[in-house]
Amino acid sequence: MTIPEWPNAKRSLDAYDLTGKRALVVGAATGAGRAIALALAEAGADLALCTVTADGDEVMALRKTAREARELGRTAIEKATDASSGQGAQVMVRQVTKELGPIDVLVNAPDFFLGKPATKVSDAEWAKVIGLNLSATFFTCRAVGREMLRKGTGDPSARLRAGKEQGTRLSGRIINIASVLGERGLTNAAAYCAAQGGILNLTRALAQEWAADGITVNAIALGWMEGSPALGDPMPEAIDPVRFIPMKRAGNADEVAPLAVYLASDASAYVTGQVLVIDGGLTVHP
Amino acid sequence: MLVLERLRLDGKVAIVTGAGRGLGQQMALALAEAGADVVCAARTEKQIEATAEAIRAMGRRAIVVPTDVRDSSKCDALIQACLDEFGQIDIMLSNAGIGDARGMDREFWDVTDEDWRDTIDVNLSSAFYCARAASKPMIEQGKGGIIINVASGEGLRGSPNRFAYGAAKAGLVAFTKSLAVILQRYDIRANCIIPDYVVQQPDQNEEADAYVKARVGYFPMQRLGEAWELGPLAVYLASDASSYVTGQGFIIDGGGLAGGAAPVGFAPEVNG
Repeated sequence: MTIPEWPNAKRSLDAYDLTGKRALVVGAATGAGRAIALALAEAGADLALCTVTADGDEVMALRKTAREARELGRTAIEKATDASSGQGAQVMVRQVTKELGPIDVLVNAPDFFLGKPATKVSDAEWAKVIGLNLSATFFTCRAVGREMLRKGTGDPSARLRAGKEQGTRLSGRIINIASVLGERGLTNAAAYCAAQGGILNLTRALAQEWAADGITVNAIALGWMEGSPALGDPMPEAIDPVRFIPMKRAGNADEVAPLAVYLASDASAYVTGQVLVIDGGLTVHP
Repeated sequence: MLVLERLRLDGKVAIVTGAGRGLGQQMALALAEAGADVVCAARTEKQIEATAEAIRAMGRRAIVVPTDVRDSSKCDALIQACLDEFGQIDIMLSNAGIGDARGMDREFWDVTDEDWRDTIDVNLSSAFYCARAASKPMIEQGKGGIIINVASGEGLRGSPNRFAYGAAKAGLVAFTKSLAVILQRYDIRANCIIPDYVVQQPDQNEEADAYVKARVGYFPMQRLGEAWELGPLAVYLASDASSYVTGQGFIIDGGGLAGGAAPVGFAPEVNG
C-alpha cells in the first residue's frame, strides 16, 4: 500500500503561511480586528489597517496597532476612513491598492454596539448601527471585490449561465467578523442583531457570487468577548452572560486570530459561505 | 506565542479512526505533520499500516490497531492500546463511517431493520463509543482533551436514498453539541467537521470533474474538495489555536450548503 499523492496538497502548517500576501483589516484599532491584524502579520502578511469611523480615538489606537505590526517586521500602512460611506470605502481601497499592491485578504471587523429597548431607538441610532456594522462591511467587500475581480474573469453569473470553464483561479479571501447575535435574538439589541444577521447573510450571498472566481467569503461569529461593550461596564449582575457559557468565561481576542489566519490562507481554499462560531459553547448550551 | 506555533501538536497523542484511506488518512497525516503521535485505526490492517509508515517517516511515532468501531468493546480496546503504547490520549478523532452503507441502494420500503441499524452503528454509535472510552483517561490525566467527530453535509439536507446515513450524521452533529456541554467542565472540547463533496482519493479526480460538469450550478466553486484540504482544519480544531471553540460544526463544502436556494446559482438581473 502506498499513500496517495495529491498534486496540490500542502503540508498542514505550511498551508497557513501568509508570506507575500497583502491584507486589509478594517476596524484594526482594537479588539478582534487588532488581534487578527497582528496574527496575519505574524503569519507573514503585509498590512493595510483602516478605521471604521475616522474618530480621533480610533485613529490613535489604529496607529498603535500599525506600530506593533511593524515591530513584527511587516509593512503596515494606516488609513483613517469612515467605512460606512460607500465612496469613502471605495477611495480607501483604491489608495491601499496603489500604495501596498493588490489586496489578497480583506478582514472586516467593525463592532458598534447599541443597547436600548427597540421602542427608544431613534432613526439616527438605527442608521448608525446599521451603517457602521452592516453597510461598512458591504462597502468594503464591494470595493475590494471589484479589485479582486478585475484580476479575474468578469461576471461570474454569466459564466455560470453559459456553463463555461472558469478562467484564472484567484485566491481572494474575505473574512467578516460578526456576532452570534446575528443568529440569535437579544432584548435591547434589535438594531445590533439586525445588522449582525445582515452581515452573516451578506457573507453567504457574496460567497455564492464570487466562488467561481476563487474568492472565498466567510464570517466568524463571536460570543461574549472580554472588553466587549455589549457586556457592559460594570456588567449588570442580572445579565451575567458568563453564567450561561459552558466555558464559564468570556473569550479573548487572541483566541479569534488563529481562525482568521486559517481563513486567510491556502489552508481554507474549499471553505466558503460559512459562519464559524467562536463562543465558548454559548450557543450550544441547553 | 506566534500564531503558527499555537497550531503545533508536539507531545500530543491522537487516535484517528478510519485512518486507512481518504479523509481520515489525510487528517492523520496532517496531525502528525503538526507534531502529534498517532494511533491509526480502521478495519483493514494493510491500509492503516501504510498511513502509520508515512507518519513514522516524518519522525513521529505511530501504531496500528485494527478496529471495527461498530463494536464498543473494540473501541475500548483501541483506547487501551493507545494508553499501553503512549501512556496518554489527547485527541480523539472519530472519522470512521460508511457513506454507501448497506441497503441504501434499495427502495425506502425495502430497507431492513438490520440495514438501518448497521448504518447508524457505524456512522453514529461508533463516535459515542469512542468519545465515552477516550474521555475517561482524558479526565484522569487532568490536562483536558479534544474530541473531533466527522459528520457530513448529508446530515444537513434530505436525500432520496441515503437517509439513514444522513440521519446518523445529523445525529453526530447534535451529539457533538451535547459532548461539548457534558465535557467542558473537564476542559475537553468537542467539535465536528462537516465535509461535503470531497474527493477521497486523487485517482477519483477525473470522475469528480465529470460529476461537477454535469451539475455545474450546484457547485459554487465549480470543483469538489480534495481529501487533504481537511487536514489543516483538523489541526486547527485539535490545537490550542481553537481554545474558545466548542460544540461547533465546521462545514467544508465549497459553499454548497450556504447557497442551495437556486440550483442555477444566480438570481436574474432585475432593476429594483
